Amino acid sequence: MLKKNTEETMIKSLAAGLVLALMALPAHAVGVPENYPPSYKAMLAAAEKEGKVVIYSNTEQFAVNPVLDAFQAAFPNIKLDYVEIKSSELYNRFVSEASAGALQGDVIWSSSMDLQFKLLDEGFAQAYASPEKAALPAWAVYKDLGYGTTFEPAAFIYNKRVLQEAAVPKSHAALAKYLSDNAASLQGKVGTYDPQKSGLGYFLYSQDLRNGTVLWDIAKGLGQTKARQYSATGNMLEKVASGEHLLAYNVVGSYALLKAKSDPSMGVVIPNDYAVVMTRIAFVPKDAKRPNAAKVFLDFVLSKAGQEVIANKASLFSIRQDVEGEATAAKLTRELGSAIKPVAINAELLDLLEPTKRLPFFKKWQGLIEGK
Amino acid sequence: MATALAAVPGGRDLWRVAIIATGAAAILAPVALVVYQSFLSAPFFSARARFSLDGYAFVLADEDFWVAGLNSVILAASMVAIAVPVGAALAYLVVRTDLPARRALETLVLVPLFVSPMVLAFGYVVSLGPVGFLTTAYESVLGAAPWNIYSMLATALIVALTHVPHVYLYVAAALRLVPSDSEEAARVAGAGPGRTALTVTLPMVLPSIGVGAVLVFFLGFELFGLPYVLGDPEGRLVLSTYLYKLTTRLGTPSYQLMAVVVVAIMVVTLPLVTLQRLVTAQARRYATVRGKAVRARLVPLGRWRWLAFAAIMLWLVAVVIVPLAGITLRSVVSSWGLGVNLADVLTLRNYAAIDSMRGVGRSIVNTALIATFGAALSVAAYAAFTLATHRWPGWFSRVFDYLVLLPRAMPGIVAGLAIFWLFLFVAPLKPLLNTLASIWLAYTLVWMPFGLRLVSNAVGQIGEELEDAARVAGAGPGRVARDVVLPLARHGLLASWLLTFLLFAREYSTGIYLIGPGSEVMGAMLVSLWSAGNIDVVSALSVINTVMIALGIAIALRLGIALDE
Repeated sequence: MLKKNTEETMIKSLAAGLVLALMALPAHAVGVPENYPPSYKAMLAAAEKEGKVVIYSNTEQFAVNPVLDAFQAAFPNIKLDYVEIKSSELYNRFVSEASAGALQGDVIWSSSMDLQFKLLDEGFAQAYASPEKAALPAWAVYKDLGYGTTFEPAAFIYNKRVLQEAAVPKSHAALAKYLSDNAASLQGKVGTYDPQKSGLGYFLYSQDLRNGTVLWDIAKGLGQTKARQYSATGNMLEKVASGEHLLAYNVVGSYALLKAKSDPSMGVVIPNDYAVVMTRIAFVPKDAKRPNAAKVFLDFVLSKAGQEVIANKASLFSIRQDVEGEATAAKLTRELGSAIKPVAINAELLDLLEPTKRLPFFKKWQGLIEGK
Repeated sequence: MATALAAVPGGRDLWRVAIIATGAAAILAPVALVVYQSFLSAPFFSARARFSLDGYAFVLADEDFWVAGLNSVILAASMVAIAVPVGAALAYLVVRTDLPARRALETLVLVPLFVSPMVLAFGYVVSLGPVGFLTTAYESVLGAAPWNIYSMLATALIVALTHVPHVYLYVAAALRLVPSDSEEAARVAGAGPGRTALTVTLPMVLPSIGVGAVLVFFLGFELFGLPYVLGDPEGRLVLSTYLYKLTTRLGTPSYQLMAVVVVAIMVVTLPLVTLQRLVTAQARRYATVRGKAVRARLVPLGRWRWLAFAAIMLWLVAVVIVPLAGITLRSVVSSWGLGVNLADVLTLRNYAAIDSMRGVGRSIVNTALIATFGAALSVAAYAAFTLATHRWPGWFSRVFDYLVLLPRAMPGIVAGLAIFWLFLFVAPLKPLLNTLASIWLAYTLVWMPFGLRLVSNAVGQIGEELEDAARVAGAGPGRVARDVVLPLARHGLLASWLLTFLLFAREYSTGIYLIGPGSEVMGAMLVSLWSAGNIDVVSALSVINTVMIALGIAIALRLGIALDE
């Protein structure tokens, strides 16, 4: 009786060991590209030992879920916890946790390029040379600390049921003229980002100003139409989709395209005079509890496999030139050429956080928006 | 006599001191942190933080702050001006008159309490917004709609009408305990129902009305969801949305500025507590559950009966049916508005999408846990505080009365942030950060004034002579609490639990900074999804939230717990 039990236990544990080994095998095979250095195996083993990775991110789940699912399929032994937080709350949470020595997040991934850069600049990130680094444009990598993961253009959106595509302005200058010319019929029917309530809103307007002064003409037009100001792209998508607004300026193009996939009333224009492109910056914090798992996740997002999901399922636009699909940097560059204006990850981003520059901008902006 | 006895200092009051001290610590820690932060130049945990009054200088010189403050005062005042008389009248009608279907109405009039303000606000946009389904229906028949859901007037009306139940609760509880013999005496002497109500009944419940008014005014300063959704795009700020704006306005979150705003709210609202104390100081005279209670007799309304009923129904349609219809409709379509044929866009995809959202499933479970067990625990805490201060006229308990209102002077989002920091920087609490414990503490604190009032309504009006009787028979204060006060207040406590369940199930702003992996709750999840703009899931989740609350109520009613005892 006793003997039989021991035998059973032995067979069971053998079988369990075999299953574990089998589970681990394909994970290595699927997850890691062949061109990675041999040392990567050890890091992956350490990552699987950590067993988990916690992502702090402001990317909406309906966009990012395919990327997360693909990661989970490739690395089933690394459990993924995704915490979606608005960018300013994400910054607060990270800085507070890091200061208290109780950091939960292993990867910090946010579209708020200025806040992310501040964290890189203040030494919160650890240096890591990703094996994918060579495949990324130079402007999207900062000192091995932070990596740009997407290539998302700012866009205009409009309601297709109400506005004909031909009538919709395709450039910033045309938009300014359109708003002024049709001010009477557009009263209260245009939406735009509120630069004071949304860091991204201020970021996009600041980039506009690097491409000329047309923003002030647009602001004037927005004032003439009594435009409403929003703190998130999603709210503008909803108002335009319902027809409460006919048009909205400066929304995150990737989210708009994804919405357009499921809602035929959503029209998206990527302006052809210049298109501001932002990239979501990801980094591994210095004090990450699970640094190996974090690096494996970062590499996956930057890898060809990860970027193909970003291009074709997430619509977040692949940043790699060697990835083809519906939403890619390669395709955008072909269509718009030099009109594409990516925002580089460098110290100029810090300027955006200067209250002494922000407050005068708000004053001028608010004056124009209120038609003063 | 009893008062004199209880005032004698001695070892047997130690339990009171212990309970009150614990409560005071829990309240003061986050408040002190916020006040401290308001005098610093950077986040308190930053090495760059120095003592500074710059925060005050900036906020007081900021035009937006004064505009937001003025809007908050207007909203709070209109809440008092509308919700207080309407709530009091409603209580009188339901408790004291022969209104049709009054038993059913007792529960129905509380329904607006169930609906989360975020749900309400967005529901109104879908039903009464410029392209809302009711608006377009109206316009197809009668031409341009005369209302604008985004106007200040609409916001004020909506917040006032949705806070009627808060006042109703206090006044109804007091009315139930007022014996009807004086009213009958007035009627016999020839006074009509209106005159009796105004000159006899009203003075007896005035203290409760005063409490309701102060609480509603406090809630007016804390409003977030409705002004956020309805006023924000217009650029119309209130103090809590101004606070929210301060997280991004200067680039990095400016906690010192947010803290200054909270201090300003406290400075404005706390004097009100003194006012309320002055009013309620007289409440003692009206302690009404005596050893001998007489069943109240109903006042006949005559021809006003059905008119009153219709008015109540109209109010319910406006504050419950219209917004809920909006949100429910939005949850089963993929698109809506101008030129959309709803039959073409019907879908259940929004509900299916919930399944694929990380954390949302967990938030549903967590919300159920915090609203049932968490709320029970909170009521137990509130009961402990109430008993500790009950009929104990020491200065300690007077101070405590002020203290409990402090957390409510902080908008929920800031209270949540302060609690987040406490759990992060106080070593023994650290392991509990990403658990429901942090959420529970935050909810318990922000709803403390409301919850304590519910509990003390149940406890406070039990006649002193019942307790005196026990004391004369030799029972100590602990024994009196356990064997006399608690059993008599049992129904009231169950009702408090049910109401706390409601408040916790729909609470949203307090969790914004607290939710993390493992501690997601629906309310904060809704705000997060709304800010991200995932309206498909927001609407489906809102409906689930509302159904969950309705289910909770149904089960409780089944079990014989009355919502309003």
